[in-house]
Amino acid sequence: MASNFGFEQIEDSQICVVMVGLPARGKSLIAQKIVRYLKWLSVNAKSFNVGSYRRADTPQPTADFFDTGNAEGERLRRAAAEAAVNDMLRWFEREGGHVGILDATNSTRTRRAWIEERCKAKGYDVMFVESKCDDEELIMNNILEVKTTSPDYVGQDPEVAARDFRNRIRNYEKVYETIDEPHLTYVKLINVSSQVIINQVSNYLQTRIIYFTMNLHITPRSIWLSRHGESEFNVLGKLGGDANLSPRGMAYAEALPKLVKDSVGDKDITLWTSTMKRTIQTAKHLTYPKKQWKALDELDAGVCDGLTYEEIEKKYPEDFRARDDDKYNYRYQGGESYRDVVIRLEPIIMEMERGSDIMVVTHQAILRCIYAYFMNVPQDQSPWMEIPLHTVIKLTPRAYGTQEERFKANIPAVSTFRAKYTSANMGGEAAVVDAERAQPPVAGAQANGVITINDDVEAAPQKVGAVSVVESLGLNGDTLVVE
Amino acid sequence: MARAVVDWYDFHADYEYSTDDVPVSRLRRRSNVNVDAIHDFPVDSEMAPAQLYSTESGRLFHSGKIAIVTVGLPARGKTHVSVALSRYLRWLGVKTHAFHLGDYRREHMGPGNDVPHDYFFVNASPSSVKLRQTILQKCRFDLYHFLDREMGQVAIYDAVNPTAEGRKQLSKEFLKHEIQTIFIESYVDDPKIIEQNVRGVKISSPDYQGWNPNDAVQDYIRRMGAKIPHFETMDEHELNYIKMINAGERIIVNNCRFGYLPNRIVFYLMNLHIKSRRTYFARSGVATGEDSYKADGLLCDEGESYSQRLCNALLEHREKEREEFVKQGGNDEELKPLTVWTSTRRRTVQTAAHLQERGFKVKQRPQMSQLNPGNSNMTEEEIKAHYPADWDKHQLDPYHHRFPRGESYHDLAVRMEPIILELEREKNDLLIIAHESVLRVLYGYLMACSTSDIPSLKFPRNEIVEILPESYNNRAKRVPIPHTDTNGAYVP
Repeated sequence: MASNFGFEQIEDSQICVVMVGLPARGKSLIAQKIVRYLKWLSVNAKSFNVGSYRRADTPQPTADFFDTGNAEGERLRRAAAEAAVNDMLRWFEREGGHVGILDATNSTRTRRAWIEERCKAKGYDVMFVESKCDDEELIMNNILEVKTTSPDYVGQDPEVAARDFRNRIRNYEKVYETIDEPHLTYVKLINVSSQVIINQVSNYLQTRIIYFTMNLHITPRSIWLSRHGESEFNVLGKLGGDANLSPRGMAYAEALPKLVKDSVGDKDITLWTSTMKRTIQTAKHLTYPKKQWKALDELDAGVCDGLTYEEIEKKYPEDFRARDDDKYNYRYQGGESYRDVVIRLEPIIMEMERGSDIMVVTHQAILRCIYAYFMNVPQDQSPWMEIPLHTVIKLTPRAYGTQEERFKANIPAVSTFRAKYTSANMGGEAAVVDAERAQPPVAGAQANGVITINDDVEAAPQKVGAVSVVESLGLNGDTLVVE
Repeated sequence: MARAVVDWYDFHADYEYSTDDVPVSRLRRRSNVNVDAIHDFPVDSEMAPAQLYSTESGRLFHSGKIAIVTVGLPARGKTHVSVALSRYLRWLGVKTHAFHLGDYRREHMGPGNDVPHDYFFVNASPSSVKLRQTILQKCRFDLYHFLDREMGQVAIYDAVNPTAEGRKQLSKEFLKHEIQTIFIESYVDDPKIIEQNVRGVKISSPDYQGWNPNDAVQDYIRRMGAKIPHFETMDEHELNYIKMINAGERIIVNNCRFGYLPNRIVFYLMNLHIKSRRTYFARSGVATGEDSYKADGLLCDEGESYSQRLCNALLEHREKEREEFVKQGGNDEELKPLTVWTSTRRRTVQTAAHLQERGFKVKQRPQMSQLNPGNSNMTEEEIKAHYPADWDKHQLDPYHHRFPRGESYHDLAVRMEPIILELEREKNDLLIIAHESVLRVLYGYLMACSTSDIPSLKFPRNEIVEILPESYNNRAKRVPIPHTDTNGAYVP
């Protein structure tokens, strides 16, 4: 078992989080985000979407399937809910789950009482999260964007689908009972957290989840991520430091405003950089309001700051090996680990969730963590991801996943990517590969780190314009592998 | 000049105004860790125990200047919330200070004098209004001074603030100074909670000396009703507010979406309640293989007998306190049961065994494992001998320094945030049995110790440390374990 260098698990309790609310209130979005956040914190979490269990039986229902007078519809929907709950309880027991999220409308008192009973019988805490929204515009937006691309309406005309969905909602509205049972633990988010009511919270993990959901909103927006331009240290293959941009890095800084404007358009976005010179210089020509965050500074390499990877391998060979064995947890002597960075990034992540359009200019390790958070990349892979220089990555969180686009500036730069167990150097010599220990490189990486001073930055196959995996099914694990 | 006991009337009477209009308060002597430092003005140069990074401006998270304004009738726990919130924010490195309007009022009137009877009335006489203004002026002056000239980030303004109109005005005024306002209302309609609060804090004043405690409670409640007849609970939708109902049973949050800090504050308040309880710290008994980090040995004989003596000493002490409390008219029902927390190390669990046998609830917390010292198989002497350079660096900054592959106290403090919040939310009296490093961090939190003090706090095995929450601060007391020396060995 890899040593955690002193880090302990955050929680020892098991909680069932039950979503409540009419359709198109952002329940699934909130559920997905909670799962993502908890996994980022190393808490074992999973979402169980009742809709997908129902779809297995009834793939394309019309609105009157959801009429409570329709006995057959009722029976099938009830069966789907039971199947989901059973799966969740089984997952708690067999896979040591910590937080299971039951994603459905759960809009009647009787349904909620039933779920509470099932979970309490097994000794699990129950917490309800209700999303209440009266804002017509928000609801319409949600309907158009999410529901008409949902599997229920595949192949139908969006207008017709939207109308049918509206009727479905009306059927739910007829029997909707907002939560007010005083003995239940619940949080009620009203109009996207402009008002929040918290009732009978009983432990730390519940408060952590509530704290997170209060930061969320469902207004569409995008996030632009970029590393600083190529720096003098990058060219020399050195880690850390506070170097200036190289001439090619400065060219990137000059190309950036157009690159960003083409993607953003005319609106104003927030711009964050770290407090290190290379990110500030990179953002120099951008005219958006800027903020510098110390939390965005690069991972502190401690005693290895200013060395190249080969120098590190020579000077600290054991450490070099140990780092590759468990890059996420390994902490540089006198410095930080990826895990430490994740802790340090918490305010940034919260602010990004809370905010709207935003661009962040930062460093390789930091970007890996931020990207891993939004794209649900597991911890054993995130420190190995390829995040090339001179590329802007645009992430658009959507209800059932995050859409990614990459824009290359076509300004050549060195590759700062190093594959596992190599000390790939930037000086033009062949990379040193330890033959016995080299494993198939993480998807997309090159086994020999070679300088790429071609016109096109030679890197992992890009997902230009790709849409990421729909993870609403909730029947499998929802990890996303970066390619 | 340390004061261990708080007098109801003249706490903070040591505020003075010098001729150049700068507020001055007497700081406790830096080296005295037995006194709660929560009301000292923060020292610029040091980082706070759980602070993640420091910024040039001294303010964090780009959250700007914030005023937290309490709302609520007397005996609703406003002061407790102000002090607890200060404690948490300071722990995170946010420059915070609480300003209690009651102190300014008492200081202005002088000892033994009270304000005119219509002081709190909405349609008070002109002289009362003028008096109010004068007192408010002084308090506001200090508050603005803290936020503007001393680069403070959060000022907590502790007062009744009974009317909606007054609150709207306050919010507007702060906005003119570029200060965002968050109101925190403590709303209580459970008479038991009110009585308990009144009994705990208010009737220990000289006013009620010699009274029957039940009569004193009723008299206080009646007086407060007459003094502040008009109170409007918060309902202003345009303001940012957090309403805590019946000590956190229910919380309503309105707006409060303007930054990272407001949400963090709500997060903390969700874990806080206004009931008070005692916390005890004790070491585990000596175990085999004690010095090595990895070994998880069982208690040796000496440790066994130590844990027996610990159990007896604690229970006897609590019994004595209970008798004292009842003699002074306290209600037996109000005393809290005892819960025990240990880490998952066997020696801590075994130390709690005697208490468990007597029916006390014992909970093991994996997050309370001790500081990882790095060079895991070495004793302190060996480290000094083999890594002299590291040892020297460690002596320079013991709080932040990490031995290779080890943790620093700072890491420990950040890692223990869930425990600290669980500590705030635990309603029973609590005994914590853990390694000395863990006790240092928890004591440091409760007593607002600085990073220079925490690594050298001492917890010898012949003492139980007791921390009592009082209205304005925490008080630490050491309870000796009889017949025991500092290593836990028996002394006849």
